[in-house]
Amino acid sequence: MRPFLFVLVALVVLSSHDMYLRLDSYFLPPDSEATIQLYNGTFDRSDNTIDRSRMQDVSLVAGGTRTPVDSSQWREEGETTVLDFTTGAAGTYVAGVSTRARSIALAAADFNDYLEHDGVVDMLETRRRTGQLEQDAVELYSKHVKTIFQVGDRWTDDWSTPLHYPIEFIPLSNPYDLHAGDSLQVVLQFRDQPLSDQLVLIGNDHEHSHSHDGDTHAHAGAELRTDARGTLTIPIASDGTWHLRTILMTESEQEGLTHESNWATLTFAVDHGQPHSHAAGAEHDHAYGHEHEHTWGIPGYAYLLGSLALLGALFLYFNRRT
Amino acid sequence: MGGPTRRHLLTLCLLLPLGLLAHGVTDADQEILRSGGLLAYILVGAKHMLTGYDHLLFLAGVIFYLSGLRDIVRFITVFTLGHSITLIGATYLGITADEHLVDAVIALSVLYKGFENLEGFKKWFGVSSPNLLLMVFVFGLIHGFGLATRLQSFEIGTSGFLAKIISFNVGVELGQVLALIPIVFVITRWKSKSSYPAFYRAANVYLVIAGVGLFVYQLVGYFGNS
Repeated sequence: MRPFLFVLVALVVLSSHDMYLRLDSYFLPPDSEATIQLYNGTFDRSDNTIDRSRMQDVSLVAGGTRTPVDSSQWREEGETTVLDFTTGAAGTYVAGVSTRARSIALAAADFNDYLEHDGVVDMLETRRRTGQLEQDAVELYSKHVKTIFQVGDRWTDDWSTPLHYPIEFIPLSNPYDLHAGDSLQVVLQFRDQPLSDQLVLIGNDHEHSHSHDGDTHAHAGAELRTDARGTLTIPIASDGTWHLRTILMTESEQEGLTHESNWATLTFAVDHGQPHSHAAGAEHDHAYGHEHEHTWGIPGYAYLLGSLALLGALFLYFNRRT
Repeated sequence: MGGPTRRHLLTLCLLLPLGLLAHGVTDADQEILRSGGLLAYILVGAKHMLTGYDHLLFLAGVIFYLSGLRDIVRFITVFTLGHSITLIGATYLGITADEHLVDAVIALSVLYKGFENLEGFKKWFGVSSPNLLLMVFVFGLIHGFGLATRLQSFEIGTSGFLAKIISFNVGVELGQVLALIPIVFVITRWKSKSSYPAFYRAANVYLVIAGVGLFVYQLVGYFGNS
C-alpha cells in the first residue's frame, strides 16, 4: 500500500504548479475588451485550470477603486483559466487572485526535492539541520498572484495599492516608469508586514523560467533575498514581461499538518517603445531620453569660445572708443 | 591694452563659463533622479539653473540695470515668484509646449534686457521702457514655463509628484543664488572702474546678439524637428 501511496504523492508533487496572472499585452487601450490568463503550471505554460471555488478573492484595482470580480466572468480555454473584462479609463491597473488553502501529503524525498527546486531552501536547510530530512510532510498551501498592467497613456498610483493578501509583492514605484537598465524596488509583505531575508526568484520572458512540472527543473533568472525592510532591488536588464515568485514555508503547529506555505507571484512588463505621460492627471506623451541629449543644445565649448571672442572683441572695441 | 583692462578681461573669461554650458535633459540627470530622493531633484534643479545660459544671461541683464542690494533683492524676488508660479503650476497640471518655442521666447527675454539696458526704447522708438518690475515678473513666468517643460521631459513618475516639483524648484532657487553671487560681484566691483562703461556696453550688446542668436537657434531647432 505504501509504495502505491508514494507513487500517487509523487504524481501530485510533480504536477504541483506555480501560478501567474498573464496578459498577451500589458499595454491595453482604454474602454476595450481584454483578457487576463491565470496560468497554473509554469510562467510559460498552464497545465490545468483553477476551479472557481478555489478563488477566495479576485480583484481589479483601477482609478483608486478596488473592484471584486464575479466568478462568472471566468471561463476555461484549454488548460488556462481566462478572465474577460473591459478596461475603463486610462491608468495603471492591478489584478489579483488569491486562492483558498489546500493541503497535500508528500513523501520526505519528494518534499525535499520540491523545497530544493522551488527556492524553499531555508526550510530544506532547517530540515537538514534538525535531522528531519527523512520525515514525510503534510503541507497547507495557498497562492496569491498579482499582475500590473498599463491602460492607455496615463499613469495612476494604483500599482501601489495593497490587496492585503497573506503574502504579496508591492512595487515601490510604478513598473511602467521603467526602461531596460533601470531598477525596480519591491517590498514583500507577509500578513501586511515586511518580510525580510526571503528568497525571491526573478525572471523574464527572455529566459527559461523555472518549472516544477516534470523531470527538468532548470532555474533561470536571478535569485535575490529581501533586505531587513523586506525590499528587493531588481535590475531590469531588458524589455519584456517580468515575473517575481516566492514561497514562504513555515512549520505548522496545526493538527494534521507539518508545514504551511504561502506562494506569491507578480508579473508586469517593461517596454521602452510604449508612450507614456508623467504628470498625475496629464495626458501628454513624449519620447525624450537618450536621443534628446544628443540632438539638443549648443555644444558648451563652441558657445564658450564664440561668446568669449565676441565679448572680448566688444569690450576692446568700446574700451578703445571711450 | 592696459593692466586693468587685461585683469577685467581675465575676470570675465573666468566667470563666463557659468553661463555658457548648454542645458538639456541628460541621461546622467535622469539617472540621478531615478536613484535619488527629493535631494536629487534639488540637485538637478540647481544644476539646470547653473548651466542654463539663457536664464543666467537674463538675470545678468537685470543686475546691470540695478543699483543697490535692496533693488537686487526686490527684482530677483519678483523673478523668483514668476518662475515658481509657472514651474510648479504647469508641471503639476501637465501643461507643456514645444521646448524650442518656449526657449525661443526666453531668448527674446535676453535680447529684450540687453536692448533695454542700452536704452534702445528711447533711442529707437522715442519711448521710455516698460515697467521693469512688471516685465521681470512676466519674463519670470516664461522662464518658469521653460523650466516646467524641461522638468516634464524627465521621467519622474507620479508618487510624491508635488514634492518632487517643489524640490526641483528649490534647487532652481539655490542654483540661482549661487549664480548670482559672482554675477553681482563682478558687476558691482566693475562699476567703480573707468572701464565700466565699455564693459557695460560690451556686455549688453553681447546680450542682444546672444538673444538673437539663441532665438534663431531655437527656431531652427523647432522647424528642423517639425
